Amino acid sequence: MTNVIEIDSLHYRPGKGFALRDLSIHVPAGAIYGFLGPNGSGKTTTIRLVLGLLRPQSGRITVLGDRMPDDAPKILARVGYVPEQPHLDPTLTVDELLRFQAAFYPTWDGARATQLLRQFDLDGERLFGRLSKGQKAKVMILLALAQQGELLVLDEPTDGLDPVVRRDILAALLEYVSQRGAAVFISSHLVHEIERICDWIAVMDDGRLVTEVPMEQLKNGTKRLRVAGAPATLGPTPFALFAREPATAAAETWVVGEWKPEMAGYFPGIGASLQDVIDLDLEDGFVELLRSFRGGRSEGSA
Amino acid sequence: MFEHIDPRSSTPLYAQIAARFRVAIAAGELRTAALLPSVRELAARLRVNPATIAQAYRELEAEGFVEIRHGAGTYVRELAPGRRTRERARQAKALAERVLADARRTGVTLEELREAIDGVLGAKTT
Amino acid sequence: MFRVMLYTQWKWSRLIILLGTVAAFALPIISMQGAAHAERNPLEAQDLLRTVQSWGTLYPVLAAALGLFVAMAAWAPDHRGRHVHALTLPLPRWRYMLLRCASGAVLLAIPAAAVLAGALLATATATLPPGLQSYPFALATHFVLATAVAYGVFFAVSAATARTAGIILAAVGALIAVQVVAGVANVNFDIVSPLTMIVLGPAGPFAIFTGRWMLVDV
Repeated sequence: MTNVIEIDSLHYRPGKGFALRDLSIHVPAGAIYGFLGPNGSGKTTTIRLVLGLLRPQSGRITVLGDRMPDDAPKILARVGYVPEQPHLDPTLTVDELLRFQAAFYPTWDGARATQLLRQFDLDGERLFGRLSKGQKAKVMILLALAQQGELLVLDEPTDGLDPVVRRDILAALLEYVSQRGAAVFISSHLVHEIERICDWIAVMDDGRLVTEVPMEQLKNGTKRLRVAGAPATLGPTPFALFAREPATAAAETWVVGEWKPEMAGYFPGIGASLQDVIDLDLEDGFVELLRSFRGGRSEGSA
Repeated sequence: MFEHIDPRSSTPLYAQIAARFRVAIAAGELRTAALLPSVRELAARLRVNPATIAQAYRELEAEGFVEIRHGAGTYVRELAPGRRTRERARQAKALAERVLADARRTGVTLEELREAIDGVLGAKTT
Repeated sequence: MFRVMLYTQWKWSRLIILLGTVAAFALPIISMQGAAHAERNPLEAQDLLRTVQSWGTLYPVLAAALGLFVAMAAWAPDHRGRHVHALTLPLPRWRYMLLRCASGAVLLAIPAAAVLAGALLATATATLPPGLQSYPFALATHFVLATAVAYGVFFAVSAATARTAGIILAAVGALIAVQVVAGVANVNFDIVSPLTMIVLGPAGPFAIFTGRWMLVDV
């Protein structure tokens, strides 16, 4: 299966301070790939690099088989982009914006644009600058969907929007994805939304990639364990041990990743007993993952 | 029918969706030859990944509840006689197991549980 | 693509184009005011020349203003959106710039045509004193060239990042300030004049703005 986006060993340092370091990302064709991370972790910068708006110091970026930023115009004809902030001319009406956009994309689907206008309940004659935040977001996603691209890149598309607008946007997005088989690269910190729609997830922190795994693996593999009688030092574990804290006088709470039910057999082997396995939702798992990633880096151990 | 799917539960979303359909089919809400919503429509309605819906449908097909006709949609199959009854029995068992597990975790005894059930049933008839 | 660029360019600059066209049409006519009399004597020829010349100083001002405002209108929305929209369109940056530049140029042809129309009308309805000739085409050409230079320069400045444009304007402002201070302090420090000679002088790019803007001349 080919990857629609492939980033290899990317380094980007715009100036003093923040930098993207050794970033490697692979977005498979047809996947809905979620990009999670705290603010300032480099999500928007990564998106800008993927769209050819920035040039990296080193590393390769391949989008839809072509190199970025060298082949940018060729690639951008097949990529629909929804930025975080409205980027369209506020003095143009919605109809004028649609007409403008249509002129640049040979794959433009006018019928879909009209249908989405109706679905989103937008008035084509209103000035873009006069629309509410939610309506602006709808227009931007409309432009990206009517373009019929094979890849959609969305930077926090539903951030700050009310739940009704968020539903409308997600529904239109998923309908498009089902019909077109397009891949989606979506960055967000709305974990619950990501949890529903993404089949792959990557986590960023401070310019580095923490992990890149299929969604099920992250969700199902991350657990909170109640363990009693474990020794202070441990050898290698079959799962990833993120954290270990005392819970009651007798037992500890362990946060682990990559857990499989068979691993319960590990505990008698070290003279401990596994009392409980508690599921963690993505948000908790995400928090634990970050905590262990940061802790591991500061201690200098894996 | 799908108000309670929970992305945070440990049960994968596709399994939750497939379970809902199984309940509806066993209860007769979805009759033989009924057309299930298209993957596209359901994904948009529930706001989940279309691959999730597709997986749910495939599981239902593997279990013999539905038939996926490419280009035409997914239809409820004619179930063998007694299949519905067996499916309901299976769901009742799962329900009972869940209630008993919860009871155990909260320290409610079997007696207390029985009394509570009688109480609820009794209240309904009065 | 050019059509939608032209459409948006028109939407942004239609006011300035309209006003400029009216002014461009009126200017030659006003500058020839009173020349529709049948009888003329040599003294009045001098008056006519003076009138034409004094009104003529407004042509370069109009040309510069048109060039400036149309160029600014071409880039203001882009700057506001931080160029994100333009940069994510599927065409190379240089092609985008070319389309923008061309759409502005097409619109600027309107006031240029108005100058020609006004000049032709003014000279057709006037009786010129003997010894004087009208140069409507030369005037119109002069105007077109001046507008083109102004538009080109301001387009380039506007297309640059806001930072670069700010730096250029700040440098110019600083030079002028230095000159003013030197003048006030009676210090014999003249940097602006030689620079002005280079830039505005007969060999410089801005020479087009100087010279005589005469609809009628000997």
